[in-house]
Amino acid sequence: MKTRRSVSPGRIALFVTMLAIAVAMLYPFWVMITDSLHTQSQFISGSGFSLGSWRQLSAALPVGRQVLNSTLICTVSIFVILAVGLPAGFAFAKLRFRASSLVFLGVVSAMMVPLQAIVMPEFVNITRIGLTSGYFGAVLVYAALGTPFSIFLFTTYFRGVPDELVEAGIVDGLGYVGALWRLVVPIAVPAIATVTVLQFIQIWDDLLVGLLFIQNTADRPITVGLAALASGRTTSIPQLMAGSFVSALPAMLVYLGFQRYLVKGLTMGIDR
Amino acid sequence: MAAITFDGVTKIFAGKPAVDSLSLHIDDGEFMVLVGPSGCGKTTALRMLAGLEEITTGRLLIGDQVVNNVLPKDRDVAMVFQNYALYPHMSVAQNMGFALKIRGESKDVIRSKVSDAAEILRLTDYLDRRPRALSGGQRQRVAMGRAIVRSPQAFLMDEPLSNLDAKLRVEMRLEIARIQRLLGVATLYVTHDQVEAMTMGDRVAVMRDGQLQQVARPQDLYDRPANDFVAGFIGSPPMNLLRAGVARDGDVTLSIAGQSVTLPERLASPYHLANGEVTFGIRPEDIVVGATGLRARVERCEALGAETLVHLSLNAKGASQHLVAKAGPRTTIVAGDDLAVTFALEHAHFFDVTSGATLRVGS
Repeated sequence: MKTRRSVSPGRIALFVTMLAIAVAMLYPFWVMITDSLHTQSQFISGSGFSLGSWRQLSAALPVGRQVLNSTLICTVSIFVILAVGLPAGFAFAKLRFRASSLVFLGVVSAMMVPLQAIVMPEFVNITRIGLTSGYFGAVLVYAALGTPFSIFLFTTYFRGVPDELVEAGIVDGLGYVGALWRLVVPIAVPAIATVTVLQFIQIWDDLLVGLLFIQNTADRPITVGLAALASGRTTSIPQLMAGSFVSALPAMLVYLGFQRYLVKGLTMGIDR
Repeated sequence: MAAITFDGVTKIFAGKPAVDSLSLHIDDGEFMVLVGPSGCGKTTALRMLAGLEEITTGRLLIGDQVVNNVLPKDRDVAMVFQNYALYPHMSVAQNMGFALKIRGESKDVIRSKVSDAAEILRLTDYLDRRPRALSGGQRQRVAMGRAIVRSPQAFLMDEPLSNLDAKLRVEMRLEIARIQRLLGVATLYVTHDQVEAMTMGDRVAVMRDGQLQQVARPQDLYDRPANDFVAGFIGSPPMNLLRAGVARDGDVTLSIAGQSVTLPERLASPYHLANGEVTFGIRPEDIVVGATGLRARVERCEALGAETLVHLSLNAKGASQHLVAKAGPRTTIVAGDDLAVTFALEHAHFFDVTSGATLRVGS
């Protein structure tokens, strides 16, 4: 027999609160979609329906190319972050070496340094080595900013993996590198997903690095394109809304796709 | 398959020896149990053999080869861990065949060896399952299977039964001993459970504070302990160890808790007994409760079904010593009874008060 949960005042209050938060979160998306379905004059008058702003957007901006640029920058940056973060996290969690705690502390404290504080020295560095023309300078900066967090997260996760699992692999014939890739990484999917989603959202949404470190306009990401759109003499709000929606969509899809791992990854350690 | 030799092996952790000059030889095909209390160094010794810990000094040989600097993967030993350490993302068959896959064996060879091992371990129906879908006993068997498919030079087992319930532990005890005899591979089995040590090992090595105390066949260990630590560790309940005064005048008179016991010369002669004090050891089953003998008061009784453990206090002239005796299952003895006890002195043991070493002649 099914039993119905009692509807207590506390549950009603919780539901109302959650509903209010959901509305607050979703309202900007509603505004973005509805406003993008007007022309500029319809937007001012507040009535009417048109797909004109979407057509104008593709004429004003190389949206497809810029989305592709953003995707490439994100993918390569996250690849570098994972390629460095996974072995480093494994080493800090499972290997015994001199001053490992101190080195770990140093790496983790790099998380506290805001981008704005180092952006100019980084710009000088990257310019000096001539990496501002393509994506690579931006990728390096994003990787440098994201790696400390990924090392911290992977170290925490791998500390929860029993030492015996790695040792069993070593006795079975693996080296430490083999144990990492063949035994530990396959069970670290929640941590990998967490790093991927958080870094994807951060890099995808970033404007500053793209604006400074990618000098070639053809290589610039969508956020820089939207900023350019907004900085014209006359700004078409519906067009800007259409562009914002296109820009927000991939980040949302990535989040939704990895959501179940993300919750697991962020709450790891709580149930131990 | 090969013999294993620890030759003066020492492991220092933070300036203190975890294993202190361990010399131990395990014959090819022998089942050696390393037993001792927590922190005695038995697991460290096993891990050094596996190559998971470096050796500080001494030599470790597998067969004729010194393996001090040989990588774990090149030692050709298989290890069963306390928590099994199964690979959670692989099926039972993949777990069992993993070492062979790394070694580059063909798929057919892997399939055939896994299938043979699964048959021995009665795991054939579970080969496609993931470890999380198995019971504790089945996981334990998979861990065994992972070891035996490799046909290694030696099996290393680190308390593999400690996570199982009592009934399953008894079953798996027999199972592991059966498989080890079937395969005839030298095995080093670490446990803190003296019942496992006594029932499984061809020989048992007892360790304490990093030092080897005695190596012997289980019954010899029980009958002729080398010191009071081994005497107190092996046997359940353990041997009673009582402080006794010795007065030698032809026969030996022992003074225990202010009461006297006469030890005939023929029973005293196997021991170096001089006037003074010794540690007198007597097993619970060698204490007879009757009408005459030392006066003792019953403190409490523990009915175990097949037998009853009687906790006694020997009191006289202000001295008091505690001991445990075994009585029959339906004994009428109750707490508070005043009894008389005698000892089966032909089974008594004597140890040096200071060093704890046995006083048996020739030991």
